[in-house]
Order: sequence, then structure tokens, then C-alpha cells
Amino acid sequence: MSFVSVNIESATDSPVKLTRRALAKQRTRERVLAAARSLFSERGYEGATIRDIAQAAGMSTGAVFASFADKSELFEEILTADYEVIYAQMTQASRNAKTVDEALLGLFGVAYGFHVEQLPLLRASIAVSWTRSEAAERRARGDIKHLFLLIADALQRAIDQGQLKKDIDVKLLAEMSWDVYVANYRRAVYDGWSVEALLARLSDQLKVIFAGARA
Amino acid sequence: MGVRTDQKAATRERVLEAARDLFNEVGYDETTIRAIAERAGVSVGSVFTTFASKAEVLSHVMNHRLAELYAELDRVAPLLRGGTADKLCSIFAIHYEFETRRVKLFLAHIAASYNPNNDPGVTPYGRNPRLSQMLLDVLEEGVRKGEVRGDLDLRLIIDTLKASYAWNYRMAAAAGGNMPAAEMSAVMDKQIAVIAEGWKPR
Repeated sequence: MSFVSVNIESATDSPVKLTRRALAKQRTRERVLAAARSLFSERGYEGATIRDIAQAAGMSTGAVFASFADKSELFEEILTADYEVIYAQMTQASRNAKTVDEALLGLFGVAYGFHVEQLPLLRASIAVSWTRSEAAERRARGDIKHLFLLIADALQRAIDQGQLKKDIDVKLLAEMSWDVYVANYRRAVYDGWSVEALLARLSDQLKVIFAGARA
Repeated sequence: MGVRTDQKAATRERVLEAARDLFNEVGYDETTIRAIAERAGVSVGSVFTTFASKAEVLSHVMNHRLAELYAELDRVAPLLRGGTADKLCSIFAIHYEFETRRVKLFLAHIAASYNPNNDPGVTPYGRNPRLSQMLLDVLEEGVRKGEVRGDLDLRLIIDTLKASYAWNYRMAAAAGGNMPAAEMSAVMDKQIAVIAEGWKPR
């Protein structure tokens, strides 16, 4: 971030040069991210080293470390960027829905559509999520928390509209909805299920979960 | 069995035991085939003549453990008391109790089953026919006793229960492996109660 203030202070001196430098830095980051994305998809998180990534991006390991502190930061940056792409769509899908089932299938449908397209990367991220460090776990939990709030929000609306009972445990039901959503990725990974098949199963599972919660 | 086959079986046992302990103590990614061979007191070559890869070793370790778990459950199953939901709670509690004894091994197994460059010898996480059958028996009994509605898709209920069971291990992962089985069972009990509310005859 330091180049921003330098740029402002010395704007009259050499703005072009600094912008170029900033641009070059940005391009380096993007090249690293693109190379890392494809290597993580191909070999998994453990299987891809910083050295492999640097080589694939056509630069030195030092240049990679100039942009990213370590491999886990690099991996998280990729996942966060993806998350930002789909979060807005998930919110939209949930808010446009009339019933709680529509809202949940809408928001999870966005996620299935996105992740099934790049299943190897999703597999790597699920694998990492089970064994990552506590610090990485804390950082990752921020993103998940937003998604949980989105689900909880849909459930609360359903309560307000009289679709669900007033005394249900919103947090617990949100967690259970999340559990079936993630568990189903196993079908995509091992049995080649399509987004439609995943959504059909999810719809049935949600009926099991919400059967006793309907008003 | 000839001496050769005996020896082969003994090597196999020793390798699986060494791998199980190393995966749990130092982690799956950190454990090399060489370290496994060293602890088992066999050559690296003989590990590779028995198993194609480290992932395959892990799959065999897990299958071995499942056999232990189900031997335990077969003893306990006839003694389970209470209603349908109570029995399900007990079955899952026994699972949590068992897996948290070597929780890092179990988490490594889940992680490895999602690894994108897995070989085909790996058993995917969540494919556990013995557990499914046990749950089905309990639910069918519940239908016979009139505790569970007769017009429900029991396999779908099992699928939903297993999803919650499996992803509750996230609690253990988030806690760096320090999660008492009782806390996981307590959450599972609540989840079972939610589903049970929906299967009641009305």
C-alpha cells in the first residue's frame, strides 16, 4: 500500500514511472495467482510448491515471496477472490426468493454452479480445511461466517413470514443446511454428479431437515 | 499358510500399525514412506511391494480401524435401549468416542480423500455401508413401532444424518484436534432431535 502515498506526494515528479511500477507489481501478482490456481488444481495444496508455482509463472521464487508471505497466504487469496465473486450472487439469489426452500436452493445453487466448474480447486480447498493451522482456520472462518449469516437471514425471513415456527433454533438449522450442502460435493467428486443432481438431492435433504420446523 | 505368506502378512500388519501411529502423531503430509518403513522395521522396498502409495496405506489403516469399531458396535448394538432417536444418538456417540481417540488420523483421512491428485485406491470419506445399515435397522424398527412415519424415504434420512455426523468433525479440526467426543455428540443429539421432529407420525 505504500506506493499510494508516495504517488500522491510526488505526483508532480514522476507519476508515470510509479504507476508503471504499481502496474508491474499488479501483473506479477496476477501471474503468480494464475499459475498457483492451476497448480493447486492439478496437484493439490501439498503437492504444489512455491518453486513449482514460480517456475510456472516464469519468475524466481524470490519474486513470488515479494508478493506473498507464504504458500498459505497465496492459497487463501485465491479462495477469497472466488468467494467475493459468488457472495454477491448468493445474496441476490436468496433475497429474490419467495420461500425458504427457494432461498436456500438459490444460494447454494450459485455455489454449486461455481465450484463444480472448478472441482479440483474445490477439492484442494476442502482437503486443506481439515488440517490447516489454527491461524489459517481463524482467517477462513471470516468468510464462512458471512455465508452462515446469509443462511440464517433466509431462515429469519421465513419465520417473519410465517413459513417456519417461531421457536426454531435458527443457528442449528443453518448449520445442518450447510452440512448437507458441503457433504454433497462428495457426489460431484467421486460420482460425477451434475449441479442439477446435487440440487435435487439437496432439495430432498432440506425437506428432511425442515419437516418439523414448518409453521 | 506358508512361511512366506506368514511373513508377508506380518510385514503388512507392522506397516499399517507404524503408519497409523505416525499419521496421528506427526501428521499425514509430514509422514514419509521411509519413516513408516523405519518405524515398522522393514525396508522401504517391502512397503512398496505391499502398497502402491501412501494414500493407499492410509485407506487400509482406516479400513482396519473400521473393522475394530464395528466389532465394538456389534457387541453394543443389541444392548441399545430407548426410542429411535436415543438409539441413533448412541450409535453416533460411539463413533465420536472411537474416532477422537486418534482424531488427527481421522482428520488426515478426510483431508486425503478430497486431495485432487488421489489415486483410485483411496476410499472416499463418507462411504460407510456398515454405519448406513445400522442406522437403517434402527429407523425400520422405529417404523414398526410407530415412532417413525411409514411413508418416508429412510435412506434420505440416513444421508442427511450422516452429513451432519461427518461435518461435525469440523469442530475437531477447528480446535486443532482438541475436541472432546462428548461435545460433538451433544451437537449431534440436537441435530437428531431436529430430524426426529420431522419424522414423527402426525
